[in-house]
Amino acid sequence: MLEAEERALVRESLEMARKAGAQKARASLSKSSMDLVSTLNGEVDKITSCLDRSLEISIFADGRFGSFSTNKVERESLRGFISDAVDTVRMLAPDPCRDLPSPEREVKGAITGGELGLDDPAYAERTPAQRRRAALDPCLKEKEGKGWKLISEEGEYSDSRYLSYVIDTNGLEALHLETCFDYGVEITIADTQGRKYSGYWWESSPLLSGFDASDCCRTALRKAIAQTGSGRIRSGRYNMVVDSEVSSKMVSPVIQALNGYNIQQHNSFLMDSVGKGIFPAGMTLLDRPHIKGQTGSRLFDSEGVATREHPIIREGVVQEYFLNTYMAAKLGMEPTQEDAIRPVLLPYGCKPGAKVEDLLAACGSGILVTGFNGGNSNSATGDFSYGIEGFRFENGRITKPVSEMLVTGNFLKLWGNFIAAAQDARPCKAKLIPSLAFSEVDFSG
Amino acid sequence: MDNNRYLDIFGVSEGQMRTLVAEGLKGGGDWCDLYFEDTVSSDILLRDGEVNSGGSHRDYGCGIRVLSGEKTGYAYAETTDFPALLRAARAASAIAEGRGGKVSASHEGLGGEAARNFYPVGTDWRDTRVAQFVPVLQKLDRAIRSKDARVQKVIALLSWQMSEIMMYNSLGELTADTRPMAGLVASVVFQQGSRTENRTVSRSFRMGAEMVTDALVEELAGMAVQGLDARFEARRPKGGEMPVVMAAGASGILLHEAMGHAFEADFNRKGQSIFSDKMGKRVAKAGINILDDATVPGNRGSLNYDDEGVPGQKTCMVEDGILRSYLHDRISAGFFKVSPTGNGRRESFRYNPIPRMRNTYMESGSDGTLQDLIASVKEGIFVDQFSNGQVKIGEGDFTFYVKSGYTIENGRLAMPVKDINIIGNGPEALADISAVAGDLKIDDSTWTCGKDQSAPVSCGIPSVLVDKLIVGGE
Repeated sequence: MLEAEERALVRESLEMARKAGAQKARASLSKSSMDLVSTLNGEVDKITSCLDRSLEISIFADGRFGSFSTNKVERESLRGFISDAVDTVRMLAPDPCRDLPSPEREVKGAITGGELGLDDPAYAERTPAQRRRAALDPCLKEKEGKGWKLISEEGEYSDSRYLSYVIDTNGLEALHLETCFDYGVEITIADTQGRKYSGYWWESSPLLSGFDASDCCRTALRKAIAQTGSGRIRSGRYNMVVDSEVSSKMVSPVIQALNGYNIQQHNSFLMDSVGKGIFPAGMTLLDRPHIKGQTGSRLFDSEGVATREHPIIREGVVQEYFLNTYMAAKLGMEPTQEDAIRPVLLPYGCKPGAKVEDLLAACGSGILVTGFNGGNSNSATGDFSYGIEGFRFENGRITKPVSEMLVTGNFLKLWGNFIAAAQDARPCKAKLIPSLAFSEVDFSG
Repeated sequence: MDNNRYLDIFGVSEGQMRTLVAEGLKGGGDWCDLYFEDTVSSDILLRDGEVNSGGSHRDYGCGIRVLSGEKTGYAYAETTDFPALLRAARAASAIAEGRGGKVSASHEGLGGEAARNFYPVGTDWRDTRVAQFVPVLQKLDRAIRSKDARVQKVIALLSWQMSEIMMYNSLGELTADTRPMAGLVASVVFQQGSRTENRTVSRSFRMGAEMVTDALVEELAGMAVQGLDARFEARRPKGGEMPVVMAAGASGILLHEAMGHAFEADFNRKGQSIFSDKMGKRVAKAGINILDDATVPGNRGSLNYDDEGVPGQKTCMVEDGILRSYLHDRISAGFFKVSPTGNGRRESFRYNPIPRMRNTYMESGSDGTLQDLIASVKEGIFVDQFSNGQVKIGEGDFTFYVKSGYTIENGRLAMPVKDINIIGNGPEALADISAVAGDLKIDDSTWTCGKDQSAPVSCGIPSVLVDKLIVGGE
């Protein structure tokens, strides 16, 4: 997929930058192909064919820095673009903290791009007819059932191949290849009163052999049917169980708060948290980016820095911030890596292999959140407020669908009330966060 | 419109475009259009008092769409070399293989000269140099810091883009547009004792570099520190259902989330929208008019043409409380047998157009002033700043996130509040707007809508009273 001529052109772009006056530079070529087949109510509705290629170049000139990109990657066009880029950089203020990563931090073993087993040769063999079948086969056969009528079924199958090739003037050379086979569907139904409800489900895999979307539409339909008759319940303080499909919403703000960009700007509710037991003892969040064949795995980040298998939070204690070369220099700290690549939250407070039903049983009563509707959080304070849908549960069993409600709180307090994490994270996701349970959470309805 | 200028930019002739359209229709499609784009964007950023980061980006290519009834084939090339475009046309034509939709898209001839240029460019951004804007960001930094001693950190960003757009369709219509877009953003972190707060403020326009003025810098600096004392005092209110008074301007997010998306005709064509069966029916109290408007000069959501070559126009969705029009692209217009409304928009040449909002607002009413609305509420909440929102189309449940407001007690503002979500149901909320003040204000912040694709929009509203919404709290 990476042609020799493209490899040469990326190399040449570094030379162009040097000749234009840059002392250092990093160049990244991104290239992808994707075919999509969308369906509406069991028929093909749209086909889309995509081919993308762009070059991004980071320029370090006279102690100054800028980042530039273009999808016009013909040699002559590129020469003018890079020359202008260096001119632009020279108009900015010097920044002594800007530099390439040191060579010893840069990845060494990403040579073929296939080291992580994410590039499936079966992708190249896919035919238009196979794609149509992959889009149509999961579609529902029935259009109505007891208490519901199908309003619409919108599905989309896609397969894609993505390449990232990064080199720099320190000698870095790294290649990443991955394929993706993906299907998602949204089902809208109406109940006997004409009220509409929707359900969404998706499956994805980097390997065709691990891809099975056959039950997607039925799962989405089940989710829509389960919501029929939903409504608000009384405002109050409840136990909250968050299903693994959406539980990363509780963890992503924590990861963002540990990012150097937020720490350096004092815009984090986890300032000065490294080495401190901010989270419950026993809670462990790992970064596991080297698992072969798994969605989200990467050997290097966008700087070309080698990723590491490491704990982010161990036994409740924050282990490190996410610091790229720039932010580490700004903060006077040792660099780590720019972000969490493939975070994995380990089981907590329940038996191995526990699922969401086990959390309901452990909590007894509360609200199971299966979807979020808008909302946001304050990165400086950790305050949050989200719209939710899901189910009221009592005595460990679901009793009523819930919608049009809000959950409001603060992430530090929420994690202080952490009860349990199951072991049911969906492997098709890049963030492996299982179903979670918390106590004393404010719901408004 | 100087067509030759655009033909030169993209290096194609009208004859070649006719050939591409013919190739696209070879499979049996009944509509083909081409969308050429050359976008140059640039940005500079101030952090810790220094303007020491910047960049520029180029995005160039052509998207080819073939319609077979309501069905779409789409492909694009990141080049305008004729062989690559031919390949894209053939890929898009595959949608028509042996099948067709039931209803044809609108083939109404609508191209030609746009009525007006809604965003004349004084100084083309491409003729400027980064160096001339470095002092602007420094001035903004100083202005913000001078207004409040609690300012800890400032990040200021100036970004702009210029897009050359050329469209051609199977009616032989050739339209072209030069679209500017620019924004100035400040993100500020404040410290008071051990407490930290943040705020992001912005202004964005379809304008040339003449947009950058001392007055704009001063306006943004003032917005950054406005109401800061209240922000540090703010607490979470008691949550639940209550009356909500929404201040003029950014509260237009209510219209965008609660009804605007549900009026987009693709959702109605598919029967998904909660408003699908409401055309011609009363959806709001008499006197309420809600529009979606591409013609506001310099507005972030304005368009001389939409991305299907339909001239920019003003669409009245709700007139005197009655639902009168959805927002259409050519596909939905064909389905509903009406004229397209100029709402066919796309993020870039990589995407097919779909119905999208532009600048969505409610006209002023006659129910007094903001103070009158607040005075009419015994116990409720007042909100005036927001960050984001979302809607579930079928259910109609929408939310928006409130960055600042106050509780209302006995007709007066009482306790400051912040960081709460509000949720409601679209048709119910629209019907529950019981009072509309006469102070319509369009909000010029960097609103960006994320329905499948990213699109710049704006919103506005006069101060309104919604009788009941659910407010997040403790």
